Amino acid sequence: MAYDDLRSFLTTLEGEGQLLRITDEVLPEPDLAAAANAAGRIGEGAPALYFDKVKGFTDARIALNVHGSWRNHALALGLPAATSVKDQVEEFARRWDDFPVAPERREDAPWRENTQEGADVDLFEVLPLFRLNDGDGGFYLDKAAVVSRDPDDPDHFGKQNVGTYRLEVIGRDRLAIQPVPVHDVALHLKAAESRDEDLPIAITLGNEPVMSIVAGMPMGYDRSEYEMAGALRGAPAPIATAPLTGFDVPWGSEVVIEGVIEGRKRQIEGPFGEFTGHYSGGRRMPVVRIDRISYRTNPVFESLYLGMPWTEVDYLVGPNTCVPLLKQLRAEFPEVQAVNAMYTHGLAVIISTAKRYGGFAKAVGMRAMTTRHGLGYVAQVILVDEDVDPFNLPQVMWAMSSKVNPADDVVVIPNLSVVELAPSASPAGITSKMIIDATTPVSPDNRGNFSTPVRDLPETKEWIDRLNSLLAAR
Amino acid sequence: MICPRCAHDALDTLAHSPVPGVWDVLQCARCLYTWRTTEPDRRTRREAYPAQFRLTQEDMDNAIEVPAVPPLHAG
Repeated sequence: MAYDDLRSFLTTLEGEGQLLRITDEVLPEPDLAAAANAAGRIGEGAPALYFDKVKGFTDARIALNVHGSWRNHALALGLPAATSVKDQVEEFARRWDDFPVAPERREDAPWRENTQEGADVDLFEVLPLFRLNDGDGGFYLDKAAVVSRDPDDPDHFGKQNVGTYRLEVIGRDRLAIQPVPVHDVALHLKAAESRDEDLPIAITLGNEPVMSIVAGMPMGYDRSEYEMAGALRGAPAPIATAPLTGFDVPWGSEVVIEGVIEGRKRQIEGPFGEFTGHYSGGRRMPVVRIDRISYRTNPVFESLYLGMPWTEVDYLVGPNTCVPLLKQLRAEFPEVQAVNAMYTHGLAVIISTAKRYGGFAKAVGMRAMTTRHGLGYVAQVILVDEDVDPFNLPQVMWAMSSKVNPADDVVVIPNLSVVELAPSASPAGITSKMIIDATTPVSPDNRGNFSTPVRDLPETKEWIDRLNSLLAAR
Repeated sequence: MICPRCAHDALDTLAHSPVPGVWDVLQCARCLYTWRTTEPDRRTRREAYPAQFRLTQEDMDNAIEVPAVPPLHAG
């Protein structure tokens, strides 16, 4: 089941009991953010939250925590709500192989219903903006799919980028944007600014749920997010042409904001409570001038709370970080079984692999650090055996506690690259990285006393089924 | 009223509540801190604003550019 817009997905969530309407009037602050923060603290089945009675507003519609549980993430992919995390990642990886699926261009985009232009642009009239965390410098758009093109190759569909970047509202028609240097939009901006030009941009809000997943996914520079969305949806992604920039944007967006990143200009931004569980900011960042806003009648404002994990963003970028790493590693090392890169967008990663020979697992760990995503993340890699499930943290801790001889199995490499947001980096952008090899040594690495492992009894699997059916029949 | 974050006294009003008189959204003309008048004191009142989030003119003058503005292509 593929959704063409946010509204149809919210309807499904409600039907599945995975959307909670808050019917009492709430304050915009601190209630909206505190409720979404709380959704990440009530267990893995948390629902999306929908607010339409917010003090001082006459027609606010706010959706939060839309991807904020494994049940909701499964439904976003069209899977049964109870699908396990490991199975969601495996299905995600299977669909990845269908890339590319050409998008379907449509003409009747619902966001054409209403327009603000030029001097009439006022973001506060369109969206019920609000603050998330105490130290945030202002109100943020933090779940947008932002579209830009390569100024040196503007007609290349694959180089057109769709990404999620934090956007601070600094005026009725002004945003500050954070293009981290390792991200594609930063490459586009650098090309434009080198020529003393502005960079046109389209910012889409309130999208169908797979578009939000793809926009936060590490992908090759010339790979189209729309063609990947089609693969993951199992149906072509519906797109439309944005009226001002001519960029390709999601057909079903609630709001499409168009304008330019003003070339060679920087303005104080932030701080903002980030996915690292720490604030970052107080830096000078590029500025977006909004020239046009197109929006559906009665738009739904979708936002997400983020802070100390786990919050919605961890669900949103969990599987979409695991799969690109899994695919890149397995292409060169078919021994790799599974990759769990769900911790802080893959700053820490757990990889399960068979061993070709002694020392092999450490090589897999080093390769993970040199993947495209690894250049900015993968600061810690834990390698576990092929029969350890990297998504099962008690099993991983067993491997760490029983297999690791620290003097030989912990490798620290100094002065490697990492995203500037990484709180432990020193200086910002530079960190040491660590491999913990928690696999069983194999020849010629003949260390330790691992020759007689205790394995599950051959009859155990049959008993698992028997116990489960007895429990289900009670 | 002054900016809770940097104590500057020039403020702009970015928005009024659609229901008249409930709240305004204010912004500091210097540090761009933006707040709604109905937010808790810890976000709206200088004396209650947490020390770790306060900004000074010096902080702003020394803020690094991210990303750095690149050199212009010759020609």
